[in-house]
Amino acid sequence: MSQQVDVQAEQTEQTIRESLNQALYEELERDDSVILYGEDVAEYGGLYKISEGLYEEFGDDRVFDTPLAETTLGGSAVGAALAGARPIVEIMYADFLPIAGDHLINYAAKMYFNYGDETSVPMVVRSMYGTGDGHGLHHGQSPEAWFMNVPGLKIVMPSTPKDYKGLLKSAIRDDDPVLFLENKMRYGESGPVPEEEYTIPLCETDIKRRGDDATVVAIGGMVYEALEAAERLSDRGVECEVVDPRTVTPLDTDPILESVEKTNILVTAQEAPTFGGFGSEVAAQVIDDAFFYLDAPVKRVGAPFTPIPFAESLEEAYVPTAEDIETAVIDAIET
Amino acid sequence: MWERMTQDVNVDDDTARRFLEEMLRIDIFEEETKERFGDGEIPGFVHLSGGHEGSHVGMGAAMRDEDWLAVGGARLIGQYIAKGVPLPEIMAELYGRVDGSNRGHGGQMHVADVDRKLYGHAATIGSGQNPAVGLALAEKVKGTDNVAVTTIGDGGTSRGSFHTALVFAAYWDLPVVFVIENNQWAISTPAESLSPDSLSDYGDPHNMATESVDGSDVEEVYRAVSDAIERARNGEGPSVIESRVVRLVPHFEGDKETYRDEAEYERLKEEKDPIENYRERLLENDVLTEGEIEDMVANIQDEVSEAVEFARESPEPEPEAAYEHVYRTPLYGQGE
Ligand SMILES: Cc1ncc(C[n+]2csc(CCOP(=O)(O)OP(=O)(O)O)c2C)c(N)n1
Ligand SMILES: [Mg+2]
Repeated sequence: MSQQVDVQAEQTEQTIRESLNQALYEELERDDSVILYGEDVAEYGGLYKISEGLYEEFGDDRVFDTPLAETTLGGSAVGAALAGARPIVEIMYADFLPIAGDHLINYAAKMYFNYGDETSVPMVVRSMYGTGDGHGLHHGQSPEAWFMNVPGLKIVMPSTPKDYKGLLKSAIRDDDPVLFLENKMRYGESGPVPEEEYTIPLCETDIKRRGDDATVVAIGGMVYEALEAAERLSDRGVECEVVDPRTVTPLDTDPILESVEKTNILVTAQEAPTFGGFGSEVAAQVIDDAFFYLDAPVKRVGAPFTPIPFAESLEEAYVPTAEDIETAVIDAIET
Repeated sequence: MWERMTQDVNVDDDTARRFLEEMLRIDIFEEETKERFGDGEIPGFVHLSGGHEGSHVGMGAAMRDEDWLAVGGARLIGQYIAKGVPLPEIMAELYGRVDGSNRGHGGQMHVADVDRKLYGHAATIGSGQNPAVGLALAEKVKGTDNVAVTTIGDGGTSRGSFHTALVFAAYWDLPVVFVIENNQWAISTPAESLSPDSLSDYGDPHNMATESVDGSDVEEVYRAVSDAIERARNGEGPSVIESRVVRLVPHFEGDKETYRDEAEYERLKEEKDPIENYRERLLENDVLTEGEIEDMVANIQDEVSEAVEFARESPEPEPEAAYEHVYRTPLYGQGE
């Protein structure tokens, strides 16, 4: 329904890392106004090697390193986009996005609104989130809730290798500022990706698994956990529909509502703390527009309302998992 | 040697006349703005530029139309005018009307005009230097020789954001001219306790060209900014200029200025008003006559009255307009 990719097309198995690298490569090659910069993205290839080889291929006019100052990464991207470039900026960890926040929230997001003409800022800020690697307080937080109530920003949080590639290409071509969030724990995840060139539109919710018994709306890395939970639940005779919005803001809500109208059960899943999060917004949308279809209270799966702890035992307890989703679905069904 | 009482005019007569005319335009436009605000016609905040007119006009005149101006500080209207935004569009924006420069979406603090290369979204003080770095970066990538000029107040220079912009501009050797309008005040907080002797010294650690000039002298600012722009255009990198101005107005309309020393304030008004000083200088140098200046003032008053009429007649935006222009590209999944 949402994918513009021919399902018959040739596919290859590849990782999210490879998908992202290809997307960057293809867009740098396609459009001379695309530039990629950030801390250690050039020769080093980015801390997670996402931009590996691009500096060698496109040279330091197109792919370059910067001093360590996220404020100016954000602000310079706004200016560069306004003056005709299409900057892709890497903010090494999403935990540092608030440092660039002034420019993302107060400027990038409001530029099209304030100019009031056709002027906009086509820029992409790529950043990494994801918990489970012992990186602790400042290297793994999920930032979507910090930014998702900012009108004018688009926030993209893909899950699969195919989505990562198609959505990053669309984000680069998009005329609005896009925050593109990558789960660093999932870069090695592999899956089928079309061999032909393709893009996937932003702001389109995708159904990752069909099922009639419960709707699980999951974002980013949690889509994998939701799919795993769905397999286990299937063994118990419960068929989940796994809904992946892919774009957090602005949210394509119709497919979520349609799914809930069919299954009558809603569970949300995110890596960020549950309170004030993406799942809360999805729950509110469903309560607003599909309340009478619900057979049970909405269950939200997410992290507890506490910072990401370091100790392995604590971190393990902190990160939401497939089991948590499984339990939430069963709880809802048994209510 | 004897000290001259009369200062020379160091630009040609036409330029000198334009300088005075443009400063008067700012002054008369702002006097009218103050009245219209006082009468309740203009909503929101109103920050005026009194004392900064010479700095704004000198800087604006030094720039080509193709050069970017990323504004900062709180004295903005003068900068909009100096960058060539037509008075009716500014006034209609102050009124919040559909024919305003930003269709009523922005207001006094956010007049912006991409065709005139005005990056005018300035209200988190001390942020504008970062987009200026990006503007210059894109111009460099495109291979033009356009320059980005960016202004900031003394208050704004305390933000880390200002300093990281300096770091990047120097690192990439970009054509950026940082103009610090030091009027000694950040609302009621005096600049004198800031540690540098001149705020342009903030460029020193980056080995940038720096200069501190009397910002109430339009010709001094014109010369200094022209030199800096020329260096930037020739690939000699960024500069920092401190333009030492005076604030002859309250921080914003409604500020009682209880924190200012009255005698000192009077002295500044007497000695440092950029318009009055230049007017006398042009008269003494026979560049203009009293009569010609009166004609100039009368013409500008007409322009300003027309701008007010334009703003008054322009409709208020329909409520739906608040939802327009949030996203540039369609939301594929939504609506339709
Ligand atoms: C980041 C930020 N902090 C505080 C303010 C509130 N504020 C508006 S103007 C101003 C003083 C600015 O002083 P200066 O930079 O010297 O500019 P001037 O008003 O003298 O032109 C302050 C504190 C603001 N708008 N933005
Ligand atoms: Mg000041």
